[in-house]
Amino acid sequence: MALPESLRMSITPPELELISSQQLLEIVPLISMERTAFISGAYGPLRPPNKAIVPIWMAVNLKSKKKCHIVAPAWLNVDFLQDRLNYETSKPGFSDLPFRFMEISKVLLDVASDDLEDPDKLRSLLKDLREARQAKSRDGLKRLDHSELSLPNLSSMEINEIRPFFVQSMHMLTQLVREPSAA
Amino acid sequence: MSKLISSQAHDSGITCLVLSKDGSHAYTGGEDCIVRIWKMDEGPDYEPATASEADQAITAVAAADYCWLSGSEDAVVRQYVKDTSELTGHVWDASGVAVRSLAIDPTGKMVAITSDTFDVKVVHLEDITIVSQLKGHVGSVRRATWHPSSSLLTTSGSDGKIIIWKMSTLQPEIETIIEGIIPAIGDTSSHEYAHDCSAVWHTSGQYFYVASRAHEIVTVSRSDWTKTSTFSDKEVSGAITALAISVNGVYLASASKSTVHVWSTQTRRLIASHPGTPGATITHLAFSPREDLIAWTDSKGGFNRWPKAIPDNFPDPVKRSVATNAAATIPARPKTNLFDDIAEATTINALRDDNAELDPGFDDVDDDWIIDDLGGGLQDASEGAGKKQDAYVKEMVSITKAQPPFQPASTPMDRKKRLLAYNTIGVIEVTDQDTHHIVNVEFFDRSARQGYNFTDHFRYHLGYLGERGAVFACPAEEAHPAQVLYKPYGGWNKQGDWTYVLKRPGSSVLGVAAGGLRSSRSFRQKDDDSDLHGYGNVVIATSESDLTFLSGTGRERRIMGLGADFVSMAAGPEWVFVVHRAGSTTIDGSQNLSYSVINFEDFSVKQRDVLPIPKGHVLKWIGLTDQGAPAIYDSAGWVHILTKFRIPHHASWARVMDTNLLERRKGKDESYWPVGITESNLLCLILKGRQEYPGSPRPLIQELPMHIPFRLEEPKGELVERELLHISTALDSLEDELTTDAIVSRERAVDRELMLLIQAACKADNVPRAIELAKLLHQTETFGAAIKLADFYHLVGLAEKLRILQAEREETDDRLIAARNKRRRWLKPDPPLREVVQLSKSTANGSSRVDLLGDVRPPPTIERPRLARVTAPVIETTRYSSVAPAPVLLPRDPTPSLDAAVDSPSPSFGPGDGKRKRTEADDLDFSFATPPPPRQKTNPFARKPGQESRNPFARKSDGNNGRTIQKSESFFDKVGAAEDDAGGQAHAKRPFAKPPGNQEKGVVRQTTLFGMPPPKPKPKPGKEKEIERKTTTTKAKKGSGLNASASAAASGEGAEETQDSQATDIVMSDANTPASVAEAEPEAVTQDATESQDPQVGDSSLIANWEETQLVEVESQDL
Repeated sequence: MALPESLRMSITPPELELISSQQLLEIVPLISMERTAFISGAYGPLRPPNKAIVPIWMAVNLKSKKKCHIVAPAWLNVDFLQDRLNYETSKPGFSDLPFRFMEISKVLLDVASDDLEDPDKLRSLLKDLREARQAKSRDGLKRLDHSELSLPNLSSMEINEIRPFFVQSMHMLTQLVREPSAA
Repeated sequence: MSKLISSQAHDSGITCLVLSKDGSHAYTGGEDCIVRIWKMDEGPDYEPATASEADQAITAVAAADYCWLSGSEDAVVRQYVKDTSELTGHVWDASGVAVRSLAIDPTGKMVAITSDTFDVKVVHLEDITIVSQLKGHVGSVRRATWHPSSSLLTTSGSDGKIIIWKMSTLQPEIETIIEGIIPAIGDTSSHEYAHDCSAVWHTSGQYFYVASRAHEIVTVSRSDWTKTSTFSDKEVSGAITALAISVNGVYLASASKSTVHVWSTQTRRLIASHPGTPGATITHLAFSPREDLIAWTDSKGGFNRWPKAIPDNFPDPVKRSVATNAAATIPARPKTNLFDDIAEATTINALRDDNAELDPGFDDVDDDWIIDDLGGGLQDASEGAGKKQDAYVKEMVSITKAQPPFQPASTPMDRKKRLLAYNTIGVIEVTDQDTHHIVNVEFFDRSARQGYNFTDHFRYHLGYLGERGAVFACPAEEAHPAQVLYKPYGGWNKQGDWTYVLKRPGSSVLGVAAGGLRSSRSFRQKDDDSDLHGYGNVVIATSESDLTFLSGTGRERRIMGLGADFVSMAAGPEWVFVVHRAGSTTIDGSQNLSYSVINFEDFSVKQRDVLPIPKGHVLKWIGLTDQGAPAIYDSAGWVHILTKFRIPHHASWARVMDTNLLERRKGKDESYWPVGITESNLLCLILKGRQEYPGSPRPLIQELPMHIPFRLEEPKGELVERELLHISTALDSLEDELTTDAIVSRERAVDRELMLLIQAACKADNVPRAIELAKLLHQTETFGAAIKLADFYHLVGLAEKLRILQAEREETDDRLIAARNKRRRWLKPDPPLREVVQLSKSTANGSSRVDLLGDVRPPPTIERPRLARVTAPVIETTRYSSVAPAPVLLPRDPTPSLDAAVDSPSPSFGPGDGKRKRTEADDLDFSFATPPPPRQKTNPFARKPGQESRNPFARKSDGNNGRTIQKSESFFDKVGAAEDDAGGQAHAKRPFAKPPGNQEKGVVRQTTLFGMPPPKPKPKPGKEKEIERKTTTTKAKKGSGLNASASAAASGEGAEETQDSQATDIVMSDANTPASVAEAEPEAVTQDATESQDPQVGDSSLIANWEETQLVEVESQDL
């Protein structure tokens, strides 16, 4: 793969997106379908106008065919994100967000922005969140330690982002630390 | 359109007009300074009288019962004698400023005079020295009008204000000032100044109409003095120059330029218009108080009369009594929309109270309207369909407002949009485009049905989405009577559409519903058989107090009289759920609603009872759950579901939800607008604040979990009870099947929950509770787990009791069968179970049979000649055997020899049977068939003595006990033997081919019969089984059959015999192990004596005994 060195060591964002698309999501189907078995499990039945819970990949697929409306997850709204952003900018720690919020929000904003309230505002909030959190994780570099790293509430995408560098650095630190003790 | 009667009355210029109170005369004034007095009965050539005292242009005329007044620009108000030009004096001299308007109050005592001064004068006609001056305007006052009760005076000033004066007090006060509706026009010489800006009170006194500066007619409610609605139509444009209301308040006439428009005040729709004189501007309009006529004067000085202005299919503009005008009653309260405010309905009484002491006249007016209202409400109630709460039909005794009819989940027109229907199938949304409506039908399941929209010129105001089609209804209008349109789903080519017209004038549609079976297939597929299942059923509730049932293709099926006020309805697959009010509302606040569930099929009423709506509350929604049960939601926030609704007269309302207790509702002001109910959820739209109905865009459907509002906070217990409710509903919906996978899995789930509850009970040492819960367990297997639980908690007593319960459960009939029997009993009252069985039997046999159980006569037997020789004396027919429906079993038997032996027609036997057997026998073997009859007689006697040992014969015929036992041990051996023996004999047709010499084998077969499963299964065995279960006789007969066979040992057809024996022994076969045989042997000795009777079978006693015991066993089981 013609990926930059840094990325080759970790999962690519599209792969993460793929993983996250296994998560379940509520939709309002526009077609009816019996309970159907897929490799990942049986989903359905779809009975409009009742809501159904399906994996994101399926929701995206249906949505792209205009066969469902996606019900935004509870955290994907302006109020909630604004609240988290405030936390993010005022407190040192990471705020409590779903582990894969980045992937999911990206997918939903791409595919179902018409089902979300105020998608533009959501986008900008997510962007702000990402920047605020990125700054914190960069900041965390200072506290890098050879043995452990605790970053509660870090999301999958962010972990993935810092992994190549952090792992390498920690490896290096380990070596540095071990030398003296060995000696 | 009727012809206009036009006369030239005055010179060009501003003219004014008034009609006398009795409508016999008209007074017109113009700039030529004269007033003409027209007799309304005369034609256009009539030369009117004139009053020409005025020095300047006449600007206003007014009429009271005994006089009329004219006002002119010379500032004098003159009084004349009624209907003549005789001047009686000056009422007022306005000291040089032009009089602009005169208004005599409804009682005829006072006249309000407006002039170019800022003050309004109110002069008492009887004593013109009593004058009130009303100061408030800051410009000349253009018009004045009186409230119908005389308690209020409204004046419209050139300053753009409408001032409402309270006249009931000694010194008039300003009640309120309304600004921003009428234009401010300072220039008294401008054309606009002469335009009508008066507040025209509706006769009910609850609101007035006024021409606004936006060139609309707006309605202003008296309750809060706000603009509530407007009249608009695409044909009407330009300034409103004159405005008038009919004496009964049903119609409003307006003039724009030269055109006169007539509006219905109820529907706010244009119902007629007249082009008038081209180029002229109409300055004054008036309805005749005694006939259907509108008169006006225009700026060219013309005086025009338009008789028959109101189209024939509309109520008369004059009559206001229900009695005189039953078909076309007058709605007292124009449109629900006029009363946006809930307060309106409820404040009427308050208002009346306020005014009662001040002004008796007010009450009079109001009371009139109450009377009219009753009729109007009936007719017009559907108009208010969407507004459930704020538009009450007024009642004679207006203590509890009766709820008007409504369509479930519909809304009133709001911002040019309304919903006609909203359910789990889809939405009907209407957009008002002024000249027409756009109806948009959207479905949730787009795979099944395709949404569509159409232009609607009829202004449908009711709609219903059914499983098979959508139905719409429109009110009567100028161009068409009320009608119903049904659009089935499927082909969108309008092929299936039909229209149903209510021809009778004044009829209207109060509600519509369409039902049908849920389609399993998509309506979008273009299959030829797409309409195989029909278009369902349509029900229409009309103002002629009936429910009209039509088929989906528009065939009228029945007009069912409904002896109640229709309120609402919803249609299911096979029936319609109708809510109605049998009488009036009660004095203590109950809506007094009841419901009926009426079958489409035969119009039978399945359920009929009262709706559980608390006092002081109204029904908000009705619908069906996804299981098909009727459900209601009321303003108290409760959801009720009708249980056991399939069983006639067993239904009851179960409260399944209280929306006030919802978790999410805490601390929020919101209400719920239901659209459907699934098993566990209430589908609704959530309305914020005090919203009454959803606006556009439509909010998403929310699912609220339903919890039975039990008072004890035990979520587990609640869950179990809720599930039990659903399961019982699901079970009720089954027909012949016992259960379904879905139900079983649900039951398992409930059992799991129950186990938890049992565990909790065990833990708490609450043995009675644990037992009670255990009794609710569905699956018998679960008892085992419950017992283990009890053991775990060392509750020995409980465990024992549970074991007893389990044993009991295992012994008794399957509860599912019991449930099915219950269903059958309830749903099909006539045939009890047993009869059903009999029927099936008789049909199976192809002959009608007498009651088998009742037939205790000995069985008819036909002996084979050969067998007869040997066995005839010995054969025993026991009671049992005689009762046995041998014929049933045997005819099927492939072995004719046996059949013939047992069944051959005997005198005792029913003729039909005997006949039948005979024919069979004949078919099979003529030679044998004939001989038997003589022998029969001998046989019956022979058998009777040996009742106890009927079976033994078969055995006796066996030569060898040991041999038989061996055979019985191994089924295959036996079969082999049988086959060997029988060879070709197996064929039924040659039973006798085998000589009696095969007795031994025959015996062998018999023994094996008991032990073995049928080697050659034939249809007969199965049937026999059934029969056996039900009737002991059958078994007995088989015993006899065995005997017969034993006696017929000569025939010796192994195969046949085995079959026969199978039939008898199926039940016992399990028990027929060698061991059991061995056990039976010792006992057998005692009975040998009887067996020995049979000369043929001397030595087979053991076997015979064994068989006997077996038989007895079987019989006891069966019994």
